[in-house]
Amino acid sequence: MADAAAGSLDKSVQVKLVLLGEAAVGKSSVVLRFVSNEFQPNKEPTIGAAFLTQKCRLEDRVLRYEIWDTAGQERFHSLAPMYYRNAQAAVVVYDVTKASSLEKAKSWVKELQRQANPNIVIALAGNKVDLVQPSDSLPSPSPASESEDEADDATATPGEAPSTGGGEESLRQVPREEAQAYATEAGLLFFETSAKTGEGIVEIFTEIAKKIPIEHILASNRSAGRNGAAGNRAGASRQEGAVDLEENPAKAKDACNC
Amino acid sequence: MSTISTQLRDFKEPSKEQLLYLFFSIPEPPLTTSPLNDGDKHSAAEAERMNINAVLSFGENGLEESYAGKLHLIPPYLGFASLDRKSVRFTLPLSTIRRVERLNARAGVYALSLSTWHGMKIIVQLTSLRPTADAFCALLREALKAELQRGQMKAVKGFVKTCYSEALVSTTSSVADNEREDGSLIAETKEGPPPPEAEFHAGLGLKFRFPGDPKKLREASKIKLWTTYLRTHGRNLTLLRYPQCTRLVQVGLPNRLRGEIWETLSGSLYLRYTYPGLYDQLVNDIKGKHSTSFEDIEKDLHRSLPEYAGYQSEEGINALRRVLQAYSLRNPEVGYCQAMNILAAAILIYMSEEQAFWLLEVLCDRLLPGYYGPTMHGTLLDQRVFESLVMRCLPLIHDHFSAVDVGLSVASLPWFLSLYINSMPMVFAFRIVDCFFCMGPKVLFQVGIAILKINGEKLLQIQDDGGFLNLMREYFASLGESAHPDSSDPRARAISRFQELLLVSFREFAVITDETILSERRKYRNEIVNSIEMFSRRSAVRNLKTLARFTKEQAGLIYDALYKAMCVEPPPPSVAPPPSLFVSTDTHQERPETRIGLKTFRVFLSEVLTWARDEKIVLNGFQQRIDREVVEHEVIDRLFYFWDTACKGSLSFQDLVSGLDGVMFNDLMDNIEWFFNLHDKDKDGYLTKDEVLTLSESFLFIFRHEIGDAYLGAVSRFMTNTFEYGDTLLPQETNSDTGETEPRQIGQNQPYLNIATFRMVVLADEILESFFETDLSASFKLEPVPDLELPASGGGFLEDLWSNIATDDNKKIFHKFSDELGKTIGKHQVIYRPTIGRYTKLQEPKAREPLVSPSSKSIVVSNSSDTLTTSQSTSSTLTIDAAAAQDNGPGSALSSTFSPLLHVKAVNAAFMERTPFAIDDAGDDDSDSDLDMVHGEDDDQVMDEVDAFLEAHDSGLTDADKEVVKDLVNAKPV
Repeated sequence: MADAAAGSLDKSVQVKLVLLGEAAVGKSSVVLRFVSNEFQPNKEPTIGAAFLTQKCRLEDRVLRYEIWDTAGQERFHSLAPMYYRNAQAAVVVYDVTKASSLEKAKSWVKELQRQANPNIVIALAGNKVDLVQPSDSLPSPSPASESEDEADDATATPGEAPSTGGGEESLRQVPREEAQAYATEAGLLFFETSAKTGEGIVEIFTEIAKKIPIEHILASNRSAGRNGAAGNRAGASRQEGAVDLEENPAKAKDACNC
Repeated sequence: MSTISTQLRDFKEPSKEQLLYLFFSIPEPPLTTSPLNDGDKHSAAEAERMNINAVLSFGENGLEESYAGKLHLIPPYLGFASLDRKSVRFTLPLSTIRRVERLNARAGVYALSLSTWHGMKIIVQLTSLRPTADAFCALLREALKAELQRGQMKAVKGFVKTCYSEALVSTTSSVADNEREDGSLIAETKEGPPPPEAEFHAGLGLKFRFPGDPKKLREASKIKLWTTYLRTHGRNLTLLRYPQCTRLVQVGLPNRLRGEIWETLSGSLYLRYTYPGLYDQLVNDIKGKHSTSFEDIEKDLHRSLPEYAGYQSEEGINALRRVLQAYSLRNPEVGYCQAMNILAAAILIYMSEEQAFWLLEVLCDRLLPGYYGPTMHGTLLDQRVFESLVMRCLPLIHDHFSAVDVGLSVASLPWFLSLYINSMPMVFAFRIVDCFFCMGPKVLFQVGIAILKINGEKLLQIQDDGGFLNLMREYFASLGESAHPDSSDPRARAISRFQELLLVSFREFAVITDETILSERRKYRNEIVNSIEMFSRRSAVRNLKTLARFTKEQAGLIYDALYKAMCVEPPPPSVAPPPSLFVSTDTHQERPETRIGLKTFRVFLSEVLTWARDEKIVLNGFQQRIDREVVEHEVIDRLFYFWDTACKGSLSFQDLVSGLDGVMFNDLMDNIEWFFNLHDKDKDGYLTKDEVLTLSESFLFIFRHEIGDAYLGAVSRFMTNTFEYGDTLLPQETNSDTGETEPRQIGQNQPYLNIATFRMVVLADEILESFFETDLSASFKLEPVPDLELPASGGGFLEDLWSNIATDDNKKIFHKFSDELGKTIGKHQVIYRPTIGRYTKLQEPKAREPLVSPSSKSIVVSNSSDTLTTSQSTSSTLTIDAAAAQDNGPGSALSSTFSPLLHVKAVNAAFMERTPFAIDDAGDDDSDSDLDMVHGEDDDQVMDEVDAFLEAHDSGLTDADKEVVKDLVNAKPV
């Protein structure tokens, strides 16, 4: 029976993904955008870690992301190994308006590269990029309300992101080039994202999906002789909500509503 | 870029006394003496404290059964616990006892009647022997008198008014007496403010409603039962806890009373009683303060039970902010941790800010120790304990979880951290919290295991973390449903899943007791501490900006030494501010970083640098041991400031690594330059004369324990040569009168000696050369720090016993004892272990050929003294060679590991041979010359004195050596 199930669902691959980063950079929002295509003030505090799943279609494969959204407060750091243990992918998030958050991201990357699964695929995401874009490119008319929402969403201190009219670029503390250079040097995928507008969110997970050694995971799963049943069950129930990564990301967002 | 905390190591198992305070929920006496003078504390407090066997009877007409137990006098409290330690107990502040009478009962019965503030009469029959009972009564009388004198008796009246139970009992007394109708009570709980507008403390729930449906919760009948209980058994400060009380708690507290009962059961009531006004004061102190804790709190205020109406209003948010900020101020070591916001928000529904503040303190400090601190070690420890309990109680589930590699903690960590409040629907979580405050932390474990047990079959099917979490989520969502929906028995159908959960928790897992938790925590503490420490060690090493030339392992050893130093000599708070109070003002927003001060640095250096410590080899006929002591010296302080490149007055781990890197990998020339720079305070490339002298003193300090006088001689020659060449190389001034050139006179603080000259002088001496070539770098040694190991965690009885015996203090006592014994039998001996250890035998100073051609006047003088020295010491050269041959040469002595015993013999030999005054004179002479220099006298005169010293020194030696030679000569023919 197990063999039959595994045969029919050979394509479903479970990928454990962990989100790390300084507090208030918007980790939970990134996940929420990806999983529910929603953006709402995040009301539940993350104690330890939150767990969510989302399925993605990539070519003929179905990936099932098991996402661990960890708490950002420094003292929860020592719990993090529990969550990134065996993770095949990680998204390390920083806030483009906060230079120190990139430093923290770098130390997370360092830690992952030394302590985590050696084949882990790491993506660096500079979030809240909507705060630093010129206002004409923003869908929302008022940059002030924009930044407020974003701050709220990202559990940032109210008023932390000053909403000076017209000075959006000055909010940016991490130049794209700098982060890009670092990511290249450290061998990371790199994106600038906005959980608010959805920019770059699906791309992260798409690129991770492409980079993950799926055959390797499948092989190890088969040899371990487990996960087949679980993947099957979840696969059946969540099939329709899957994100088709081959499609235009914008469309994929719409399709993603599980 | 990291903080290092030694806090975990400061942990001490709670003493019996502390456990007693904990059991009776009594605030520990303020300003308890430091754990070091435990002895004093005992003697001071024990005079007053006493316990006695007693039988407690209460109430007229046998309202309650009599219980045998122990009566504890713990001024200013009186506590009673029945023999099983759970059926019956009370904690009475002595100030609530209004009257104590000795009862005229039958002969042989010694009974006291205690009347409390609330008019109850408690009868305790003291069943110990008569004299014991008399002593107890005497102490009780004294303690009561003391309370009266403190004026505490008067405080009771005002305080009890703040408790809702007073209002409840007085307002409902008329109701209860006249008309026993539920309707009025329901109306009262439903309608907002009660008639006598709030003298008592109340929570947000009064205004914003309590969670849950009051009818469904059967608030009215609960209130009635409690009113009756509180009227007969005392309330707030005088509550007596009989089995009925626990039963009432287990069915769920009525919302209106919940806050007060929580604070009474947890004992936070006594804190509020003891420290009136403290909360308001803290709230005042908050104004204008900033801290990272405050920032973190701000982020979470709107995410704490956001669905509750109270937290959608400013009033609730402000109250929450104040309570959390006040706590972070009160306990900066904990500060603020996510999850505390949930607890605070939850309890604020039921109690006032002040009540909530104290309850939060009891929660964080007493009930959940270490849960919310910077390392969260308490959380990790209890997760480990939980896992072990699951293994014991539910082995099947445990095995399955390990088989599919699922960690229990992924689900159970939030259960414990937030007391199930954000895992379960609130109405249910609060009932667990009720039991938690009543029966203690074991409840969290019992409920956790019951959850697993109830879901056992499904849990055996799960394959991964996700499945586990989803299952738990579904279960918690279904807690309100019937546990046996298909049962034909309506009563069974009425049992909800939550009731089933409590039933299983307290019936089946009653075996999990406070003692179980305590002993399990003991068992795993070291494991957890080790893993946390290894974790922070790894991240500290990883977070270094540069490892320099060290390997990761070596950097780890440096970390160990630093860590030990911080244990021995914690850095003062001014140097390392607690993270929570760290205010980052600079724009770079550096994260807090542990930096050590000079004192800690000395200890650190003593771990890695041989000459930064005194090692005494002690022989007393019984044992041989090496005592290490930290030394203080100018050169060590100098090193501290030398490495403090950022001029912060403190050193970080990175500074230490970089500093050590600057010396440990050096070759001869690098080392000479390093040593020169170390003494060149203004870094202008020149040493002043003062600095030259300091440098010489540094030499003497470094060589202070070397055997023989070889180094002493070297330093002397160094000084001679330095001043000689220094003067020669000074810009010459031509005396216009005589036409002679002579060195310009320069002050003590003027640049005098440059690196080239210094190098030349050093290289002129074989001993100094070898010191700089290898010995200096080699005197820095990175070795595993032995004392850093925690005792192995086995937890057996014998091990506990041994770890109790083998404390540092006891070891010291034992050492002292054996030293004394050794002295009496004349075998006590203390020898300083040399820091370089190149020469293990007496050695004669050797001078090289003079460096400078005899062209100037001063050199002629020096030359003559040099020749004099050599001629005088010729007779001894023989001995040196013999000694050197025996030792296989100095180089091998260095590389081979140092053997104390061999060395002791050598030192003994040296003691026999050496002239006793040499080193003392060296010190004196040195300071003399120092003085001379300060007075600015002629250099030549100093030189003469140095020469004189050298002569004395050499002739003294030759005498001794001559004898040795004589002996040798005499010995050979035989």
